[in-house]
Amino acid sequence: MNLKINKKITKQKRRSASQWAVAWRRFKRNKAGVAGLFIVLAVVFVGIFGDMLAPYPAFPDPKALTPFYNGDVRTPPNSKYLLGTDTLGTDVLSNILHGTKYALYVGVVVTAITMAIAIVVGAVAGYFGSWIDNVLMRITEVFLVFPSLLFILVFVRVFTLGAGAGGTFNFLGINIPIGLTIVIIVLAVFNWPGNARMIRGEFLRVRELEFIEAEKALGASNKRIIFRHILPNILSSIIVVASLTIAYAILLEAAVSFLGFGDVNTVTWGQILENNFSDMRIVWWAEVFPGLAILITVFGFNLLGDGLADALNPRLRD
Amino acid sequence: MKGSNLSRLRTFVRSSMFRYIVRRMLYMIPVALGISLISFVTLYAAGDPISLIRAGKPNITQETIDAMRTYYGLDQPIPLQYLSWLLNILQLNFGKSLYGGQPVNLIIGPRIWPTIELQIVSLVIAFAISIPIAISSAKKPYSKQDVTVTSLSLFGVSMPTFWFGLILIILFSFTLGWLPSAGSQGVAGFLWWGNPILDGLAHLILPVAVLVYVSLAQNIRLIRANMLEVLRSDYILAARASGISERKVVYKYALRNAVTPAITFLGISLGSMIAGAPMTEYVFSWPGLGRQYVASTLSLDFPVVMGITMIITVMTLVANLIMDLLYVYIDPRVRLR
Repeated sequence: MNLKINKKITKQKRRSASQWAVAWRRFKRNKAGVAGLFIVLAVVFVGIFGDMLAPYPAFPDPKALTPFYNGDVRTPPNSKYLLGTDTLGTDVLSNILHGTKYALYVGVVVTAITMAIAIVVGAVAGYFGSWIDNVLMRITEVFLVFPSLLFILVFVRVFTLGAGAGGTFNFLGINIPIGLTIVIIVLAVFNWPGNARMIRGEFLRVRELEFIEAEKALGASNKRIIFRHILPNILSSIIVVASLTIAYAILLEAAVSFLGFGDVNTVTWGQILENNFSDMRIVWWAEVFPGLAILITVFGFNLLGDGLADALNPRLRD
Repeated sequence: MKGSNLSRLRTFVRSSMFRYIVRRMLYMIPVALGISLISFVTLYAAGDPISLIRAGKPNITQETIDAMRTYYGLDQPIPLQYLSWLLNILQLNFGKSLYGGQPVNLIIGPRIWPTIELQIVSLVIAFAISIPIAISSAKKPYSKQDVTVTSLSLFGVSMPTFWFGLILIILFSFTLGWLPSAGSQGVAGFLWWGNPILDGLAHLILPVAVLVYVSLAQNIRLIRANMLEVLRSDYILAARASGISERKVVYKYALRNAVTPAITFLGISLGSMIAGAPMTEYVFSWPGLGRQYVASTLSLDFPVVMGITMIITVMTLVANLIMDLLYVYIDPRVRLR
């Protein structure tokens, strides 16, 4: 009996580490990457529990204006309002806490759509090549060369007009703002070309490797080669790019909202900055702290992405 | 003397460089047309701008609206509107603003130079600073200096452009009172540092600082990454093995190869740089194209939006051409086709 257990342990010890275990070990040694992971986990925590942590509710709720009715408009940070109140008479700390979930919503959904389009386009272009590749690459080039923020602003403006940006829709019991979702879709539509190019490059690289040739010789179908062999091999790159795309999407949404194109009824971080921009000389705290929230969140995702790149990219392995 | 100039011109016209430039310019035409078509269709298919503008002003009568539609040619079908817009553009006539019928040329014209000024000054300063920093940090990867530089530049990439501007304004204009917070020049009688030239300079400092900081972070990350790759390659090993000084290896052999991909990237990122202008210009109330674009898009002034879109498209395409020519100049392996 005892012997058996011992045998089991030694067997486990001898088993060679999987690719992911090796990557995790490498990742753990990277202090910046671990710090990024902690920041991201903290932001996710605030995103989930922010509504409960916040002293006041978010804007469409009339109770958000409680400080206003108490006569506390543009109050500098003090013990009652830790980060002060803004020019509308709402609590800045509450707004930031409520905004966290929107930032994550933007980051994750934009990235999901972007990566879905990018993987399909990149896979088709990289694997099948020929004219499909040519057409796709010309399209992505135009997207990359042209200043897409200009298009994003026009599209957001035009679509929010058409859809009546005020409302929310119910998805799995959660009320999701329509205006913000329109912004997300537009951001995703203009964001995929760079990622598609990267994935195409990865497909081109892996397609030429010998084991794919062997697989072809064994008579594997295209579908099997793409999904069972190439995709798992480029999964690490996809994860890294996804992490960086989340960061970029959060930044872009903040910019769109700050310029006045966002969903006015949804208090995203960019929206707080926009609301207080004209009174900035007085309510500087309502500009500094939401911006810090953006900075920390985006920095966390970027650190995580960089750490993952170092851990997963075999080319840089010593 | 004159004859030699003429023959020099003749050789230039026959050269592959000249043919390349001409071909690239011809290639710009369909791209510009495509972009104009996409923007035009998006804007005008979204709805009749007059009724969109009218939504906030219920007192306008139907006759006024009809008269305005006829005045702006909006009663025509969209393909016809596009064609007449295109014909006007070819004569450099950008149409009339929907607010008061002011010619778009008069709105856009004075705003072109401030934008170009801001972009060029920032671009030059950013590149001049980023190359030496990136090299010294790539030479000793994962040293203390390198870690500081990479994390600082990652910090820079993570910072919202416009927010950095806000912080600078709060710090240097509101708190310290050293620099102006808005505009490109002071009013007569209230000039910064007492003279119009210094006044212009004072207004430039903060916006340029923002643009430099943002592109600096991108440049450093990119050049450093390329430099690391290049320094790992076999020919650098060979150069070192043959006893060439480290300085020569880095600056003569590695730098050229590290900077070339950066220039390609620069061409690609130029679009996003020019697109970043609206944010900086908005924050600093800079009287440029970007700020006007934001205002006109918000107020649905479609002719102005179209005009600025076209000018920025052409600016981007020309800048890309210049980048490509620079690329050929730096990397002789690249052949002009």
